[in-house]
Amino acid sequence: MKALKFLLRSLIVPSLLFVIGCSTCCKEAVVAPPPPPPPSPPPSASVVPVGTELGDVFFAFDSAVLSTASESQLNDNVQWMNDNPSASVVIEGHCDERGTDEYNIALGERRAETAKNYMANAGVDPSRMQTVSYGEERPFDPGHDEDAWAKNRRAHFAVK
Amino acid sequence: MDMNKPSLLYRTLLVFALYMAVFPALLTAEPVKEYIKISKEGVKRIPLVLKNLDTEKSKSKKYASEIDAIVNRGLGFTGLFAIIKAPLNIISGGDLYQAGKRNINFAALSSVGAEVYAGGILDKKGSTLRMDMEVYDALTGKLLMRKLYEGDKDNLRKLAHRFCGDLVKMFTGKPSIFESKIAFVQQSGGKKEIYLAEFDGYGAVVVTRSGGLALTPALSPDGRKLAYLTYTGGKPDLQIKDLATDAIVSVKRKGVKIDPAWRNGTAELATTFSFDGNQELYLLRDNGTITRRLTRHGMIDVSPTFSPDGRKMAFVSSRHGSPQIFILDLVSGSVKRLTYEGKYNTQPSWSPVGDKIAFTTMQKSGEINIFTVNADGTGLRQLTYRARHNEAPSWSPDGTMIMFSSDRSGGKKLYVMNADGRNQRSLGLGGQQMQPSWSTFQLKSSSY
Repeated sequence: MKALKFLLRSLIVPSLLFVIGCSTCCKEAVVAPPPPPPPSPPPSASVVPVGTELGDVFFAFDSAVLSTASESQLNDNVQWMNDNPSASVVIEGHCDERGTDEYNIALGERRAETAKNYMANAGVDPSRMQTVSYGEERPFDPGHDEDAWAKNRRAHFAVK
Repeated sequence: MDMNKPSLLYRTLLVFALYMAVFPALLTAEPVKEYIKISKEGVKRIPLVLKNLDTEKSKSKKYASEIDAIVNRGLGFTGLFAIIKAPLNIISGGDLYQAGKRNINFAALSSVGAEVYAGGILDKKGSTLRMDMEVYDALTGKLLMRKLYEGDKDNLRKLAHRFCGDLVKMFTGKPSIFESKIAFVQQSGGKKEIYLAEFDGYGAVVVTRSGGLALTPALSPDGRKLAYLTYTGGKPDLQIKDLATDAIVSVKRKGVKIDPAWRNGTAELATTFSFDGNQELYLLRDNGTITRRLTRHGMIDVSPTFSPDGRKMAFVSSRHGSPQIFILDLVSGSVKRLTYEGKYNTQPSWSPVGDKIAFTTMQKSGEINIFTVNADGTGLRQLTYRARHNEAPSWSPDGTMIMFSSDRSGGKKLYVMNADGRNQRSLGLGGQQMQPSWSTFQLKSSSY
């Protein structure tokens, strides 16, 4: 499943872009896969970002409040958006499996919106950022312990 | 014209007229008051001897045994009865194949502890089955009900459940569950779609074709419409489907739509929208247009459920930090907090017949358990214990049972229990299911 998701993403994302933060980023220090040589470079993504990465931000249980680490990651994401002015993202809000489904859909949306608002306040055009909540329906780590839950309580950035 | 052979219709009418003359009051099953009291208090199950149907013709026997099995399962499902095997000498004389003319051995019934006896005769004419049923109070020998049921041999379930429904209604005084429907989410291979089935999960058919994610089904009180959430095209939409015509109203407002619930006595429903920037509850018509906004608060407001009269709405709010259940009076606009125990109380479900509200609590251990509480906050009662995650309670239309999902044996499955928590058992459906919604039949239902 993860492998499939990964493969799909590497096919869809414009190949010159580095995209970190799909399902494999649960492990620290994930390096973006070497992009396959493009048939013709997409005109919209002619800048290869250096030094910044579009990464997920994580939350505490039943919380949509940003931690210092989350704010730091969002600053990087703002930089990435500035470096890639033609890119748009969908910010997905996710929850861990604890708690109940319905409430978690609302909580997931608040996480995504919190991330979006932070970046909008930092100057990113809100029209470049959409949000969607999946509640606890799309966990990145299928485990049933705090290690997995911590990875699943996140706002995930998917380049459109 | 052969006067010695009157038409079938004439004979049927004659029999019916005689029947009415002899048993005028018995065609309508009057509720038995003392049993209603017992079943309401949930003191015990009614000890019932259910005698297998007798049939004179050997070719009717297979129908009789199939009907027996359906009646046994159906009455067992209600949790109202302790079904006792009939003693061998239950018929002590008279005409075995004529209800009303055979002698029931009440001494034998009391020796096995029965309080109620039910049995009958099955007869087949062409493709029509005639089931002549009689029910006695085993202690006094009083006839409680005598009724003739006719039905097609190809729909034994319907025939059997009509009798079950009458029997249950006699003891509870309420319309039975047997013509109710359930909707639920079925998960297979990471995908979730909504299914519709009879009350016990029988005959499940898929309703949504979202291709990935459909959630939180809510059956309208009359069982004719289904509201749910679907992620068609990666965006959540609220859909309201007319189950008779398959017409779908799709509500595509910006932001989330969460967990719709129908308002009893109206064609309205409530759901959470976030188009104004925050998750708030709104009341809308079944064509998707908003009637009015119900909440105004900076935190999450979700999961509405309405009182039987539709005047009050319980819902979940995180306005005090952790999620708790509140009650909004739709007439006065006042809001009162309902739950104080525990840090995570969600998924309220208001009983369609009373003032009880079922909900779930996530406990420190990580377990999710189902509780009931009176609408005034008194009478808190825990119904599930030490059984992992028990979620999404939904009441039966008569308020005697609660359906829910549980992963106590591995994957998530639908379970039912009596309203006091006794008699918990799985529906036994294949695969994984969650988020059941039981139709409530607040509106007048068609005859079965």
